Amino acid sequence: MMFDVLIRNGLVVDGSGEAGFAADVAVKDGRIAQIGRIDGPARQVIDAAGRVVAPGFIDPHTHFDVQLLWDGAARPALSHGVTSIVPGNCSLSLAPLRAADRPAVVGMFQQIEEMPPEAFTTAFDWTWEDFAGYRAAIERNLAINVAPLVGHSVIRQWVMGEAAQARAATPGEIAAMQDLLRECLQAGAVGLSTSFVDVDARGRPVPSRFAQFAELDALAAVLGEFGRMLQIVPEFYDTDLTIARIDQLAELSLRHGVPTTFSPVFDSASTPDNVPRTLARVEEQFARGARVWPQMQTRPIDISFSLLRPSLFFARLPSWIRVLRKPLDERIAALSDAETADRLVADVGPDGGARMMGELIVRGGDAAPTALAGRTLGEIAAERGESPARALITLSLEHGLDVAFLAANRGHDDTGRIGAMLAHPLVHIGASDGGAHLASFATYGDTGYLFSEFVRKAGALSLEQAVRKITADTADIWGFKDRGRLAPGLAADIVVFDPETIARGEERAVFDMPGDGMRYVRDAIGVDTVLVNGAVAYAGGAYTDARAGAVLA
Amino acid sequence: MNAQVQAEAVIVGAEIGAGHDGAAELVLTLRYENGATAPVVLDAETGFSLMRNCGAESLADLAGQSWRNLLEGLE
Repeated sequence: MMFDVLIRNGLVVDGSGEAGFAADVAVKDGRIAQIGRIDGPARQVIDAAGRVVAPGFIDPHTHFDVQLLWDGAARPALSHGVTSIVPGNCSLSLAPLRAADRPAVVGMFQQIEEMPPEAFTTAFDWTWEDFAGYRAAIERNLAINVAPLVGHSVIRQWVMGEAAQARAATPGEIAAMQDLLRECLQAGAVGLSTSFVDVDARGRPVPSRFAQFAELDALAAVLGEFGRMLQIVPEFYDTDLTIARIDQLAELSLRHGVPTTFSPVFDSASTPDNVPRTLARVEEQFARGARVWPQMQTRPIDISFSLLRPSLFFARLPSWIRVLRKPLDERIAALSDAETADRLVADVGPDGGARMMGELIVRGGDAAPTALAGRTLGEIAAERGESPARALITLSLEHGLDVAFLAANRGHDDTGRIGAMLAHPLVHIGASDGGAHLASFATYGDTGYLFSEFVRKAGALSLEQAVRKITADTADIWGFKDRGRLAPGLAADIVVFDPETIARGEERAVFDMPGDGMRYVRDAIGVDTVLVNGAVAYAGGAYTDARAGAVLA
Repeated sequence: MNAQVQAEAVIVGAEIGAGHDGAAELVLTLRYENGATAPVVLDAETGFSLMRNCGAESLADLAGQSWRNLLEGLE
């Protein structure tokens, strides 16, 4: 048999969690044809000596809904070895959506994803209203697999119009929502997303937050007809409310036989009981037979700010707070006043802010010179002959205060604690938010960070465990039956990577959004080759022309 | 101090935390009349509003403030 692709001499880590083994992997017609010692000819041979050959990674929480319309690879997700993504989270999707309702929902997307307005007006022709139409629009150009959720907020908007953000639904409206959800699931949606947290561009709660439990129960009943997922964003800033939502999800899971998942779940020194209490309740509900999967991100949380807006980063410094609370023109005047600036610098202490501000990173993507991006304020201050606090003020003033600073690893950053949590059998690794928060931080490379930080550095998970967590486990949780494992007959979603170097690159600003919009990204490190449905979609640091991605049913 | 005030939750700690959206946020620790404590997380806008309305110039000034006073300050 002539194979399409033969990956030779690699260490096959097949997603099962079992020990890796030396073998070749042959691909034919988009499927894995054979695993073992293979001598047959192939149109393309990939030498994977010294590399791991694993199932493509699955990212279960993204917001690539809009980007997929002009970028079928969801860059840079694919380059990190991600072969399947789940968009449509947090109650928002681009269908079903009537043309008249587009402005309202676009505002919600801009609020949550920080997508520039041009992304909705210049990057694609908005031709659809129903879910099947959206599916057809993205299917034309997919290099990555997409398993789309449908958003509760847009379903509500379709049925209730403006009342969706004003009141509870009537029985008739709930029935109409059920019919609409059923239509979306038949058209390829893999579940429903809802949110108890998000707001629109005007700061109003998104439509899903006006739903009573009976409405969610009725929609979960429809999910039960298809065995599909319910994803929610609970009040994650409050452990007790999160636990209450876990209990609600458990009831829906048991009543309707559906899997459920919630995110974000993250750990911090200021709320050390949050994750332990959350996981304890999850364990209790799983023991009852419910499926309530907590999604946890691998990456730490950073704090970013500029002097354009008051940030609580300065909340221990009264003199700074007083100045930063002023209107912008008065704030600039105060910072420009030598006496005021001297007082601000004095107030950070005798070290001139070395301890508090010296490790701040100048982020780039703003008005500051590109050459400063990625460097620490301490380094820049030393070159300028200033203290870090003084440099923060003068550098900001030189660029109209439009200089972004980043305080790295300020939450979810205790590798010892996080590693044990990620290894927990009921923790679903995800919550990357890929494609969202574009101008705030990079949402890419969490898989590389899993291997660099928690496999190689901390040893919290074995290589095989880590692969399983983001492949077979994810596929099983979501019901993607032919994904997540390397076995004959399954879809040939494959990543070839170097286990000694796979990681995420440094965060950097790029201007590749429509309208030259800025976003922060991280490049992939140590990922050699990525196959999607048997086609090489990324190799040698470059994307190919392959468009073998599919909408996963 | 009257019984009503004693029966109110009181802020016993305030720290800066990192929020899901990358912004700094205010993590308050409240102690209730029964001795239980619990964290409350506020975003920047709400946090600054609370500090302003109870006359706090720094996080340290929040310790001992009544939660009721803070809520009334928000109205």
